[in-house]
Amino acid sequence: MSEMARLLKTPGVSMEGIADWEAANELIMASGWGDGLPIVPPALERVESMLAYCDRPWDQPVAAIAPRNGAATPLRIAANAVMAGCLPEYFPVLLLAIEAMCEEPFNLYGIQTTTHPCAPLVIMNGPVAKELDINSGHNAFGPGRRSNASLGRAVRLSLLNIGGAIPQVGDMATLGHPGKYSYWVAENEAANPWEPLHVERGFSAATTTVTVVGADAPHNINDHESITAVGILKMIAGAMANTGSNNVYYHGEPLVVLGPEHAAAIAQEGYSKADVKRYIYENARMPLDRFSDENITRRMRLKFPERFASAGPDALVPLCARAEDVMIIVMGGAGKHSAHIPTFGATRSVTRALKRYDGRLATSVREFRHG
Amino acid sequence: MTELRKRGLITAVVCSTAFETLGRTQARVLGVPDLPLIMIAHPLGGVSLDEVRARAQVAIPQIVELFRGQLK
Repeated sequence: MSEMARLLKTPGVSMEGIADWEAANELIMASGWGDGLPIVPPALERVESMLAYCDRPWDQPVAAIAPRNGAATPLRIAANAVMAGCLPEYFPVLLLAIEAMCEEPFNLYGIQTTTHPCAPLVIMNGPVAKELDINSGHNAFGPGRRSNASLGRAVRLSLLNIGGAIPQVGDMATLGHPGKYSYWVAENEAANPWEPLHVERGFSAATTTVTVVGADAPHNINDHESITAVGILKMIAGAMANTGSNNVYYHGEPLVVLGPEHAAAIAQEGYSKADVKRYIYENARMPLDRFSDENITRRMRLKFPERFASAGPDALVPLCARAEDVMIIVMGGAGKHSAHIPTFGATRSVTRALKRYDGRLATSVREFRHG
Repeated sequence: MTELRKRGLITAVVCSTAFETLGRTQARVLGVPDLPLIMIAHPLGGVSLDEVRARAQVAIPQIVELFRGQLK
């Protein structure tokens, strides 16, 4: 008996008669599994091919996915990767992203079950993002690239099928957002005038990382007129200061995605990334009287008594506790657009390096290949 | 809450009707399937203080009953 055949005897890891496209999709739809889109049937040979890029034991969980605390074994994640349409070489970074989002500071339990629409956004940095052709340019949040689309979908299918984030059972999102189908991008490092996200967080530029963010949908910021750094930053800060954002209520790390043209114009005047964070922290604020009376009396005065217990209507409300908490990445193609992504608030982003099972940094997914 | 329950303390979770399935599922997942849920009408957010008091009036008898049942 092969290793795969032995593992498939384990309860809960096999489905009979799933090689056939129609039968598999009928079963998935009738059972309420998956994301509502047809899947690639996770037939034995496909799952085995996916695991050709897994260098660790296939049946040992790398994490427990909330809220069900489902055991995230490579085998189960591989089945979801097949269903999502992933290529086998994507598997190492998928596994890494699942591990990262199950770390405690991320608060996956809260992110999965909350009424807020958030979803884990995966941001890749480093050479493997290029190797896997992750889109970091035009329309990076949009359709068109198999890597972004299927990796993000594999995350969601794992969160649904292993984690049990079934809508209205384990996922109580009032509205949700389209990124809950797929939300996987890479930073446009070539167009970044500053240090990229992973370098800012202490990794070398040659290290491949994933960063997971408990993210709302992108909110676009159109600025075709500003020709100074302060002009662009003022427009961005103005767009970010919104009542109703979870970052106002719970702080956390609001994410700014700078389009390359905005980033270049800001950097050209000598602004560092830390300067940008400081500007946004100090200026993405709104006066207390933008909030309803009920929110002022029942939330703001009680939750932030040191700042607002007796504050007047002009007191300014910030989006986060410290300038360093503003997250900045550069992404996208030509054009005068940037985006603000509010987060769940009660979460911290987690960045992890791509490593082989022996603990050494991996420079290519080929290092995971066996068989 | 589930940890307190496992230690034998009298515990319960106040749960609005829209969250009953999540509450019962999670109690089971977290190893305390008999965790009592104090049920109140949904929603709890965005209601007047009178409506909050009305929910408290529904919750209090359930809490008294919980204590009676476990202190026998």
